Amino acid sequence: MHLFLIYTVDGITNGMVYAAVALALVMIWRATRIINYAQGAMAMFTTYIALIVIRHGAPYWLGFVVALATGLVIGAVTERVLVRPVESRPPLNAVILSLGVLILLEAIAPMLFGGQTQSFPVPVSNTDLLVGGTSLDISPFALFTIGAVLIAMLLLFLVFQRTTLGLRMRAAAFNPEIARILGIRVGRMLTLGWGLAALLGALAGMLAAPSVYLYPSNMDEVLVFGFTGAIIGGLESPVGAVAGAVGVGLALSYVSGYVGSDLAPLGGFAILIVVLMLRPQGLFSFGRQRQV
Amino acid sequence: MLEISDLTVAYGGVIALENVSLSVPEGSITAVLGANGAGKTTLVRTISGLIKPRHGSVMLGTQQLVGRSPEAIARLGVGHVPEGHGIVSELTVDENLRLGGLWRRDRADQRVAIEEAYELFPPLRVRRAVHASNLSGGERQMLSIGRAMVARPTALLLDEPSLGLAGGLLAQIMQRLVALVTERKLSVLLIEQNARSALSVADQAVVLSLGKVELRDRADRLAGDDALRHAYLGF
Ligand SMILES: Nc1ncnc2c1ncn2[C@@H]1O[C@H](COP(=O)(O)OP(=O)(O)OP(=O)(O)O)[C@@H](O)[C@H]1O
Ligand SMILES: [Mg+2]
Repeated sequence: MHLFLIYTVDGITNGMVYAAVALALVMIWRATRIINYAQGAMAMFTTYIALIVIRHGAPYWLGFVVALATGLVIGAVTERVLVRPVESRPPLNAVILSLGVLILLEAIAPMLFGGQTQSFPVPVSNTDLLVGGTSLDISPFALFTIGAVLIAMLLLFLVFQRTTLGLRMRAAAFNPEIARILGIRVGRMLTLGWGLAALLGALAGMLAAPSVYLYPSNMDEVLVFGFTGAIIGGLESPVGAVAGAVGVGLALSYVSGYVGSDLAPLGGFAILIVVLMLRPQGLFSFGRQRQV
Repeated sequence: MLEISDLTVAYGGVIALENVSLSVPEGSITAVLGANGAGKTTLVRTISGLIKPRHGSVMLGTQQLVGRSPEAIARLGVGHVPEGHGIVSELTVDENLRLGGLWRRDRADQRVAIEEAYELFPPLRVRRAVHASNLSGGERQMLSIGRAMVARPTALLLDEPSLGLAGGLLAQIMQRLVALVTERKLSVLLIEQNARSALSVADQAVVLSLGKVELRDRADRLAGDDALRHAYLGF
């Protein structure tokens, strides 16, 4: 029973990191009908930049802010420079594009940052909290991870649902043509949407790096797990994506705890394959026809 | 004044509009009639900037619209009620209305404009928090027109607003529209297949056929002349 509790806390903590990635994927999917396979690689990149900042003696929090800001910029620039030209093209172009960005980022990262695995600092302790000699089975860093992702989600929710900027962004995503004839600068909204998604990815990168370490493909698995969560959630629903990703986190934690930690990544891929098989329409037909 | 001159539009190599000229004075309604595929939707989408013409000009007052983006054209005062309503069904009625004037700086007047839209179409008020996907056809049409009005346009393009509406409701909506046109000095381009209802509210009428202007006349004269009506409008 105690073990179950430990695995559950672990699963939720990891699941929240996957959820940030899943939510980023859903935001980009809804705005531009593209699966951003480079989401993880972008996060790897911004995490390296944070590490450089921190290694130069800056406090963790400055590195944290720099990572998120860099994410915002990388996402926005990617949309503006690379995605915009393929937006009106067949979906396959966008797939190749996002795979291309993934490969590119993972190829230049070793040149810029070195290829070896690096440890990554935590802002607060990641050993379990003790109260009167008994362990609470959760570390301050795990609490920080869960809290940071929850706060990010809450802020995004408020921006999208409660501000006119959010209303513009939703309209641009739901129906770009109608948004344009209503005077909304759709291009800018999509750029911003990509930027916010990459910012969320950058957060995931910062939260994952202390446990998965930092190397050019360190986010590959996190991306697959986040992607699986997003697919389970139907790819259209932010809430579904978060729930799906936390579910994946829990499932992997139980597999790794009760069956064997070597099997956890395999377990993740197995879930993904099963989910994809249960969706015989395949990856390109998630977009239900929007009704006008 | 909305003035279209010599407008030619092609899809690939296929001409959809050929040297179309027409003008819509302030405070008046010009009906554009024509059969399926005549080019009516192409005309309003070109005015809105959604389609780039091969050549020709579209002037709104002193501003050339050709070459500008749809968002810029909307901001210059062109309201477009697209074919099939074009409401955003994932958003609520109120959000749809707010969308209409989001680009405007004057937030206070924006709220006034939304209030006016609810006064114009009272059925929308009780449905304000409802997702637009739950609206009836008539409510959708009201929402689409109301939303265009929130931006306080000087020109209004209506693409088959009668589609899917019961006659009584259509007459009601048209009546409110006519009142608005004189009050706000709107230039309205009213696209219709249903010539009878369009002619009853329009000042002038243009008949499009295979992308060309086939006939242009005062609406009352066209409606009253049996021979013309039979020949061009088939009723
Ligand atoms: N996106 C497009 N690509 C190619 N051809 C098109 C396109 N849209 C319209 N057309 C063609 O252009 C011509 C004019 O179409 P348009 O939609 O403007 O007609 P319409 O008068 O609005 O017809 P309806 O009464 O059915 O709405 C038609 O022959 C149509 O097939
Ligand atoms: Mg049409």
